[in-house]
Amino acid sequence: MDTPSISLGGGEPIIRLRDVAKSYWREELEIPVLQGIDLDIPVGAYIALMGPSGSGKTTLLNLIAGIDRPTGGSLEVCGSELNDLDDDELAGWRNGHVGFIFQNYNLVPVLTAFENVELPLLLTGAGRGERRDRVEQALGLVNLTDKLRSYPRQLSGGQEQRVAIARAIVTEPDLLVADEPTGALDAKNAEEVLGLMERLNSELGKTIVMVTHDPKAAHHARHQIHLEKGVFDRTVEVNR
Amino acid sequence: MRWLALIWKSLLRSKRRTLLIVGSLMLSVFTVAVLQSLLTSLNSMTNNPNSSNRLAVRHKSGLTQMLPRSYEPYLRQQPEVETVCALQWFGGYYQDPRNFFANLAADETTIFQMFREEFGVSDITEAQIKDFQRDGAGCIVGEVLAKKNGWKVGDVVPLTGTIFPINPRLNIRIIYKSPRPSDENALYFHFKVLEEGVPRMKGLSGSFWVRLHRPEDIPRFVERVDRHYANSAYETLTETENAFNLGFVKMLGNIGAIIQGITLAVVVAILIVTGNTMATAIRERTTEIAVFRAMGFSSGRVLTLLLVEGMLLVAMGGMLGLLLALVAATGVRSTLGSLTPFLADFTILPDTILACLGGTLVVGLLATFIPAYAATRRPITDGLKAIG
Repeated sequence: MDTPSISLGGGEPIIRLRDVAKSYWREELEIPVLQGIDLDIPVGAYIALMGPSGSGKTTLLNLIAGIDRPTGGSLEVCGSELNDLDDDELAGWRNGHVGFIFQNYNLVPVLTAFENVELPLLLTGAGRGERRDRVEQALGLVNLTDKLRSYPRQLSGGQEQRVAIARAIVTEPDLLVADEPTGALDAKNAEEVLGLMERLNSELGKTIVMVTHDPKAAHHARHQIHLEKGVFDRTVEVNR
Repeated sequence: MRWLALIWKSLLRSKRRTLLIVGSLMLSVFTVAVLQSLLTSLNSMTNNPNSSNRLAVRHKSGLTQMLPRSYEPYLRQQPEVETVCALQWFGGYYQDPRNFFANLAADETTIFQMFREEFGVSDITEAQIKDFQRDGAGCIVGEVLAKKNGWKVGDVVPLTGTIFPINPRLNIRIIYKSPRPSDENALYFHFKVLEEGVPRMKGLSGSFWVRLHRPEDIPRFVERVDRHYANSAYETLTETENAFNLGFVKMLGNIGAIIQGITLAVVVAILIVTGNTMATAIRERTTEIAVFRAMGFSSGRVLTLLLVEGMLLVAMGGMLGLLLALVAATGVRSTLGSLTPFLADFTILPDTILACLGGTLVVGLLATFIPAYAATRRPITDGLKAIG
């Protein structure tokens, strides 16, 4: 099937997908989710992946983030060909290159905000002092230095998501992936989180790929890519 | 160290569940440790290292049948024999029928030679022995028994007979110390007290204890004695002291099989309970595990964290159970040791502690590994429930 390829230009791509396909199997039945995806996303881009339910946007995000494997094609992300990495190497790669922001924040309830943000740093060689500095810096970026010792249950939804964003950026990854980051927030908190993500992109140069079905959220991205039944439908450049 | 805080906090995620599983493990390990130690105590009764060259000669038909004292010279004449001691269970009590202890009529001339290890003869002077042998109403008493009743040398002990219709008044001449506390819960008095007080016991004894020079001579001696008295009115059954004691233990039924059966049931039950608890705990954290892996934790690292958490949980329960068992053993020794001879030595041996700890860790490993392995093999996207 011929599908449009998307190249956002603007320099060296941080994400380079070629003929990427993904299918799921239900017993003998193959269910194609993505087909023939070609995509080039440059460093510093802020992309909103949009599309109806089942269009494959989350699957595409998972493939880019290295938490799922394609059934065909190649994915070069942050300078690594993901198909060449085994599971452990891919885990190490994710720790060094990708920060995750989830719809439901997914903070560990028994850990404080500080400890939640510190989690990805435990896998690095950083010592206790360095970890503390980086966690405080990350929580400072999301304006939560006064909540270091708070547990998730003591935080509002917006604050939880900001802690999750601090956790995503604490290892200074090249790429942030966000799956419906405002899906569980009210309008005010959603706006705050989206503003924060915009700052991370414009001020810190983070490349962000965000899945959303909310046009308002998508409007914060620089580009919107629409998927329909596993193929690209159209690309929209956003004039903010 | 950096992982310990994470593991500890995860462990206390559900305090009630942690408390319940630690509590059930504690009780299970306590039960297993106590039962296994009980078995060890029973086995030690039938495995006295000091009795390797001692034999009991008794009536072939059973312990209630008597043998003639006239057998004694024949036994003494055998070249393998060092000494012979007539011994008869008296079965009396002091003041209260519930106040059980071993009391036996014994040949006062050979008893010290026969049981020199148990009586710690090196600490008893020749004069004390002669003093006991000269006093026809003299008796020797173990230190545990003496302490329990507040007896001292020179005291008179009135015994009330239950098997034999006499109530002898005995003078304590020696209080002995023994390597095993269970051996100190006994009283021995002159055989003549029984012979003179009970006419039907004249010239009879329930058993003869025989000490050989060398343990290697046992089979030859046993075969010769039992053959010698075969087809007589008083046929003999000669057996080692350990085999003789085993006969008493067997009267309780197949205790070993019962204890092992209960132990197995407890282990299987706790494996199921722990397995179910760990499976539930890990299943509740499916999304969290997926998030950890998304952040870069490898499957192996997540599996290790979960296993350490599970092992820590069972180790806590196991150690608390053992602590409780050690405390209980001290209590059992001090309260029941004087009533039940084999409980005087009741203790949780290092082997039992190691076996219980090892078993606990194996249970923890088995109970945690299967759900943890399944959780870490599950695709991250499944864990996140995020198929677009």
